Amino acid sequence: MSLSSRFQLVWLLLTKMTFRHWRNKAGHYLLLMVIVAVGVGAFNGIRQASRSASANFGLFNQAVSGQSDFLIESPTQRLLEKDLKQLARLGKSPDWNLVPVVEGSVTAVELINGAKKQLRLIGLDLLALGNLPTLTQQNLKFSEENASWYDWLGSDNEVWVGQSLADSVGVTGGDTISFLASGRKAKMKIRMILDDPDGNLPDDLVLGDLPTVQHLLSRSGELNRVEVVLTQVDRREDKPYLAEIEDRLRKELPRNLILSPTENRAADRAAMTAAFRLNLTILSLIAILVGAYLILQALDAAVVRRRAEIATLRSLGVGASVLFSTFLLEALVLGLLGSIAGVGVGQVLAFGAVGMLADTVNALYFATSVEALSVTSLDVIVGVGLGVAFSLLAGWLPARDATQTPPAQILAKGDWSPGFFWLRKPKVGLCLLGLGGVALCFPPFIMEAGSKMPVGGFVAAGCWILGSALLAGHGLVLLAGWVRPFCSGPVSRLACSRLWDGSSRHRLAVAGLVVAVSMVTGMFQMIESFRDTIEEWFDVRFQADLYISESGVTGAGSINGIDPTLLDGLLRQPNIKYADIMRICYAKPARGVTVLAGVDMKHWSQEARQIWLKEPGTLQSVKGTEPALVSETFARRFGVLEGGVVELQTPSGMQKVSPFGIFCDYGNEFGMAAISQLEWIKWTGSERAVNVSLYLEDRSKLKEMRDQLRIAYPGLDIRNERELRDVALGIFEQTFQATHALSLIGLAVAFAGLLLGLLSIFDESTQTWQTLKHLGFSTQRFILAAGLEGAGIGVAAWVVGAITGLALGWLLVFVINVQSFGWTLLWTVPLANILWFGVLLTVVGFVSGMISASYWNFRRR
Amino acid sequence: MKIIFGFLLISCLNIHAEWIEPPTRSSKGFLVPTADYIPTFPQDHGAHRGYALEWWYWVGHLETVNDGQKYGFQSTVFRVAGDPKNSKDSETETFGSRQLFLAHSALSDRSEKKYLHHERVLREGWQAQASKDTLGLEVAGIEARMLVDGKGHHLTTHYPGGGKLELELIPAKPLVRFGERGLSRKGDGAASVSWYWSYSRLKATGVLSHNGQVQKVRGFAWMDHEISSSQLGKGLAGWDWTCMQLDDGTEVKAYRLRKDDGSSDRWSAVYWIDAKGKTQHVYADQFTWGEEGDWTSPTTGLTYPTYIRINADHPTRGKQSYRLRPIIDDQEFYGNRADNAYWEGACDVISPDDEVIGRAYLELAGYGGGLGARLN
Repeated sequence: MSLSSRFQLVWLLLTKMTFRHWRNKAGHYLLLMVIVAVGVGAFNGIRQASRSASANFGLFNQAVSGQSDFLIESPTQRLLEKDLKQLARLGKSPDWNLVPVVEGSVTAVELINGAKKQLRLIGLDLLALGNLPTLTQQNLKFSEENASWYDWLGSDNEVWVGQSLADSVGVTGGDTISFLASGRKAKMKIRMILDDPDGNLPDDLVLGDLPTVQHLLSRSGELNRVEVVLTQVDRREDKPYLAEIEDRLRKELPRNLILSPTENRAADRAAMTAAFRLNLTILSLIAILVGAYLILQALDAAVVRRRAEIATLRSLGVGASVLFSTFLLEALVLGLLGSIAGVGVGQVLAFGAVGMLADTVNALYFATSVEALSVTSLDVIVGVGLGVAFSLLAGWLPARDATQTPPAQILAKGDWSPGFFWLRKPKVGLCLLGLGGVALCFPPFIMEAGSKMPVGGFVAAGCWILGSALLAGHGLVLLAGWVRPFCSGPVSRLACSRLWDGSSRHRLAVAGLVVAVSMVTGMFQMIESFRDTIEEWFDVRFQADLYISESGVTGAGSINGIDPTLLDGLLRQPNIKYADIMRICYAKPARGVTVLAGVDMKHWSQEARQIWLKEPGTLQSVKGTEPALVSETFARRFGVLEGGVVELQTPSGMQKVSPFGIFCDYGNEFGMAAISQLEWIKWTGSERAVNVSLYLEDRSKLKEMRDQLRIAYPGLDIRNERELRDVALGIFEQTFQATHALSLIGLAVAFAGLLLGLLSIFDESTQTWQTLKHLGFSTQRFILAAGLEGAGIGVAAWVVGAITGLALGWLLVFVINVQSFGWTLLWTVPLANILWFGVLLTVVGFVSGMISASYWNFRRR
Repeated sequence: MKIIFGFLLISCLNIHAEWIEPPTRSSKGFLVPTADYIPTFPQDHGAHRGYALEWWYWVGHLETVNDGQKYGFQSTVFRVAGDPKNSKDSETETFGSRQLFLAHSALSDRSEKKYLHHERVLREGWQAQASKDTLGLEVAGIEARMLVDGKGHHLTTHYPGGGKLELELIPAKPLVRFGERGLSRKGDGAASVSWYWSYSRLKATGVLSHNGQVQKVRGFAWMDHEISSSQLGKGLAGWDWTCMQLDDGTEVKAYRLRKDDGSSDRWSAVYWIDAKGKTQHVYADQFTWGEEGDWTSPTTGLTYPTYIRINADHPTRGKQSYRLRPIIDDQEFYGNRADNAYWEGACDVISPDDEVIGRAYLELAGYGGGLGARLN
């Protein structure tokens, strides 16, 4: 048979046979496509949302000043104006423009309905912007035509916003916005709404002249960075030219500053969130996996239903390869249609997820604002490609199954099915479990920004989930065998014996559920372990009476710090016994970024309570280096768990720190080294505190003092320990929103799978049911038996899934978390939750069984 | 005393036009240059912050010592005062808001027929500073300062592509003050006057880094320093201006103030500077500025009359004729805003006998419109 005539035959079978079945079971196939769509959609949605949420990398000014080519920064991310004077020579070349930037996060308050909004305040030299090539094209205007240039420069409080921000907070030109920054409450006046027809300006961007913004942020004399924008924008991609420019820039660059191509920053930031994004991607892949499993299940059921038809076709001389191709094509069409719909579903899911992912990135990594969601052609290709690939893989086994059995046997045995032999043999499953154990020995993969990817941990998790899914059928049979003697009535005996038979369909149904159950159970444990650890950490670490920080700023990358003069005034209040002042900044190790803190070392090492991994003094600081207390994450990242030296680039040059104690800290995953206040101020040239913990003389006046301070300092957050804990846990909950959402999607897909699986099971057992009916088995009994069968599958899936989930929980807490983030968590097993989950599964299984049996019965009639 | 006498003599020779008494303040409140002002140097080489407009302007023709390659250069720093209420006060801010500076630098490569130019607009501060006590400019890529002996100055100009011109400029003639009683009039508006001081012939030596080569250069330059608070009178659209350095050791400066209708304002003038630095001048009724050809910019679309013939009646030598021919057609200077474009280029000076008798710089400003409004 020629290729074209073979194709014609396959097409004929698809259109005449397959699509006829689809029409007869339109709801069933539609549900299947919806499941594939949700699977692909979850993957694509998370992909788009995390890209959109973390793409903006904090270079907010680029919406105004255009793309920059290089960045000049201080190792602590805080430049001083005096550094500009050193850069003046560099600014003489016409080949580039130096663009100093100051930026900060402020909280707009007293908006309409008393709402608050986090805004990014960006200060640029508005006059010098006119020299930038992009701005000339954008034609941004900062004043009315008749105004003089000096009218709009250097004012105390005038700012510019885009139309989208003006609309969202309901302001127009001339209005004022009250806001909190650096602990102060102040007002800014909207000079003009910027004309932004293309909507380039983010809806949280407030633009001001650089000195104005310094004033508004109480950060006079400070900058964040200087961006370098090439004059010849058409040579941006010209690598030799860029190399020449970089070389020239480096020749004149002051030694205390760092020059890097902007794309490095993007890569740094991308690398910083790589682990976070990969975790999400893996979680979202689960939905596709479950979807693929469902296709396998559905096609397998289709093979069962159409076996007589297949046998007839085979008898008529249709070749095995043609049948194989037809079933594979069916899987392809299912996958393709589902995946295309999945691209749309992904857009909807991304829309829902982007906000929470942006919040997470803001809270944990760096300041970002959400970019417009966009579906790229790559998204479509990856989404559809994955959907189709998994569908084809899923269709492979049923297609092979359809062609392997001789027609005579099929016609003779009715609903006989060879089933999936690999579900009946425990070897593969056991091997996978063993392989997972071996994978634990793999070392973590070290990524660009210095963060670690626990490759072995992820491989082990995958092996264990897959292995337990394959073994789940045996668990079902085992459980049914145990329960069987206790079944007395015909209904329960029937249900139990069917489970004990352990058909391929039953085994598949359990396997699919086990994947979802084990993942959710593992996640439960990790989240609970995290929460318990943080609560324990709070109990021990936070013993002060009042905690003071800049108001409204919670993000890791958007801290302005407390205005030093404001803090001086606050610390002169009576009733303060001791103030533990903390100063932090970023510092550059050889790879990635870490946090350098300035603290009262005597208080931290002798008086304050900490969870110590290594008590102060256990380690010996190396002579000639700065003694430091380092966090566990820092110690693991830089390999100083047993002591040693880490070199950090600071504004005062390279400095060496050496740990003499290691404390547990769950504040960030970049690690923290705490050195003495005096040395910190000397190294960084700044005195700005990020937070202060107050110990009071008279604790009975705590509430009174807190209220007094709140009135006196409206721009500061003044909290007691309980309030601080609530805020921290709030951030914690926020970071796990996406995880929760993905777990729910996985569960929903799994439950839909259970429903489909049960329908297939009943389809396969058509002759059995009919015989029973003839013997007097009522419809009610049949539905009840189906319910019990479903419940049995639920219980078996829960038992196997929970055991696997416990192993996954251990893996997440002790391997993946330690390797990814460098912190050890207390392992908490939320037994009650797991038990409730079991009950839920059993009930859902029972209801699913009854629903599918009723539907099956209704269809038969 | 000799100097004062010299100035008075020059003034007497020139007094034949109508005198319009300038006010002490412009309509915007800036100081207006006063008549009979005797500048003191080096202080008056510095910035005059209380006046609205000021520029320091160097142009010249250079050739490389080794192989005689020829270049023209222009380095100009403009200062524009901000709010007249406080612009006079000094400012030490990194991002000031009292003074605005523009740096225009250009290099005309005669052998390669290439013209490089660059503009920066900056506020007073870390990238733009001008001393008020002496010649001390640091504005983007242009730096100028007095030489240690105080007899000349040092000028550095940066060009796109990593090029740089460093020159020592030594006056070959004394400084010239133009206009009646030390005021150069730029229209009938009472305040449209400037202090206009020039070194008409500066001996230039230095180093040019260009196209990856570093070569010694030498030649002659011209420097203007002009201070005003209303540069153009009402009804004026722009100006055509030239400075010629003739091979006979004299210089000619000529300008036509163009009215909105295209005719020349009566305050247009031609100045002759003799070998000893003495000047003679005539006004619009005694010279013609003829256009013999033009060039249209492919970038801005503006058309400039770049081929010029000036016929003038010298007060003592009778009829004089000069033709200007650009060394390159495309010497249009445009910055970030196209409406600010002007043509400023190196030219040869051709005699009526078709012989090259000197070198010139020609400036054609206001052809894009709106200049009058900006400089009023």
